[in-house]
Amino acid sequence: MCDVCGCGDTSVVPVDVHERILAGNDRAAQHNREHFRTHSLVAVNLMGAPGAGKTAVLEATARALGGQARLGVLAGDLATDNDAARIRRAGIVAESITTGTACHLDAEMVHHGLHRLPWRDLDYLFIENVGNLVCPAIYDLGQEANVVALSVTEGEDKPVKYPTIFRKADLVLLTKIDLLPALPEIRVRTIEENLEAVMLRPAMLPVSAKTGDGIAQWVQWLRGVGHRRSAACATGAGMFP
Amino acid sequence: MHEYSLVQAMFDQIDRVTREHHAQSIRRVRVTIGEYAGVDPELFQTAYEVFRINTPCADAPLQITRVAGSEELLLDQLELEVP
Repeated sequence: MCDVCGCGDTSVVPVDVHERILAGNDRAAQHNREHFRTHSLVAVNLMGAPGAGKTAVLEATARALGGQARLGVLAGDLATDNDAARIRRAGIVAESITTGTACHLDAEMVHHGLHRLPWRDLDYLFIENVGNLVCPAIYDLGQEANVVALSVTEGEDKPVKYPTIFRKADLVLLTKIDLLPALPEIRVRTIEENLEAVMLRPAMLPVSAKTGDGIAQWVQWLRGVGHRRSAACATGAGMFP
Repeated sequence: MHEYSLVQAMFDQIDRVTREHHAQSIRRVRVTIGEYAGVDPELFQTAYEVFRINTPCADAPLQITRVAGSEELLLDQLELEVP
């Protein structure tokens, strides 16, 4: 209030904040990441459009890697337990994170999801994000790697139409390649070129969960993430932010 | 439509800063939205218009600075009305 005459006037002061609007999520993600690293757990954030084949990839991963490593899944879903139920039938532990109307997972949701999963006993945790090529991209969950599933039926131009999520990706799984013979208009090389235009470090693996093509290379890539994370932890260096 | 949850998070930050400075109201909110922030500035603005009703930001315009080639999403500055 004005001290001179008591008129009630206020003053306007600029206050510099300069804080990330996602700072709260970043703190929760870092909390998750510390848990994961302490227990030598490799967490992978698997994103992609609805129907891109995320769950099918995880089923194939369970078949290929389930006997050699302990796998678990947190499956984001707006309204059902369908994806987690499919994954459990594939023989690995899975729980749903039912988001209601939310179009993405955030770090706090993942943290609460961990309470329902024996995550300390796992080697790999897959966080199957809500099917969406926009919203999940900007939320750090505490993962070691971001993977985007892109199916051949989605068209060649998805990487350039949704650049943010592909820019965040450490790997793109080009899924459903068994359908390519029925899609003569789809050129894999064009998809690769579009990924090269937006990804910071372009990396794509063509896979088919149905035939198993490319799944061995995917498993090898996953093992590489684990090895690089172990090396980074040993030296105290960060592999990802 | 994650812009609504982002604006909600921003209002938590605004609430904290407002209390720290014992401010009565906000006169202006400035944010930075980078080209690769994954945020639609128009949707962010729309969400802000919804959230600010009956808050200390009710009369505070939102000023958005867009930055090409950036991933930043920042609450930059608040103009606070203080006693």
